[in-house]
Amino acid sequence: MSKSTGEHSDGWEAQIRKGCLELAILSSLWKNRLYGLEILRTLEGGSGLGLAEGTLYLILNRLKAEKLVDSEWVDARSGHPRKYYWLTESGKERLARMARFWVQFSANLNALVEPVLGRKEVANVRR
Amino acid sequence: MSADNAGGSIKQYLVRLRKALGDVPSTERDEIVEEIRSHILERIEAQEPATEQVVNEILRAVGDPKELASQYKTEALLRRARTSQSPLLLLRTTLRWAMSGLAGVIAFLVTAVGYGCAAVCYLCALLKPVFPARIGLWLGPEHTMTMGYWNGRISATEVYGIAVRPPASFALGTLSATEGPVRELLGPWLFPVTLLFGVVFLMATTRFARWFIGKFGQRRSRRSLG
Repeated sequence: MSKSTGEHSDGWEAQIRKGCLELAILSSLWKNRLYGLEILRTLEGGSGLGLAEGTLYLILNRLKAEKLVDSEWVDARSGHPRKYYWLTESGKERLARMARFWVQFSANLNALVEPVLGRKEVANVRR
Repeated sequence: MSADNAGGSIKQYLVRLRKALGDVPSTERDEIVEEIRSHILERIEAQEPATEQVVNEILRAVGDPKELASQYKTEALLRRARTSQSPLLLLRTTLRWAMSGLAGVIAFLVTAVGYGCAAVCYLCALLKPVFPARIGLWLGPEHTMTMGYWNGRISATEVYGIAVRPPASFALGTLSATEGPVRELLGPWLFPVTLLFGVVFLMATTRFARWFIGKFGQRRSRRSLG
């Protein structure tokens, strides 16, 4: 019984992560031009999104096809070129809309779940 | 473990990836492989010395090349299909998409049935001169109406094609065998009617498939945010 609830919540968590990936990837590019590994490090540092590394490039590829990001190969000192990504104008607009929605949405949900965890625990998680 | 071995397994990984990418257009394929290669090399540089174990872990983190390639292929197909007129490409795309989720299954089923109906219409027009007494729009018992091929029997009558029995039965193939006579309704009107319906089914299905792929094919849930 406990096992099945565990699996259920894992699936749910994975879905939430998956749904937030594009937001996280676009956000990492808000201020900087980054290449793949840098984006990955930014995500690993802050988000706990737990992403198969190949999938990052798949999503970047899709975002580029949708003209939300653009990219360019740059020769690096390391000897092999790196592919740098940055937000296009429509990417910035889209990201701003996504971020606004996310902040509103998560604030509402936090308010909803606060009674479950208590104000203290919620505050702790935020930190 | 030598650097040669490490280089060997990376090379092998990239060869498998390239091979698995199959019919992705070659410029896109080169780009994908080159980017993954660059990623692997970056990872290795960050973790010198590159022992076999380190390299294998890095490759595992990137993901199984077949699985990764399959995701790229699905996306490339979906992108192409969104603007395609080709029933074959749309069917192939939705079939591949069907492997990865419910939306794909729905897309494939509707597309397959739609094109199936178009095919039946064209086949009827094509085969009418060959089997003039067997091809037609057949009215059977219980208001069963079937566009297609009648097996010619009075008992154990079957008609294969697009079958409709009001109010709710539809079959691409045959509804269960019926007893009793069937009557042909269209006569010489069969040609214009089948050709017209063929075109309608074909166009409607293509439009549906492209619309559905555009709307749900690339997790475009963001749209609802605007």
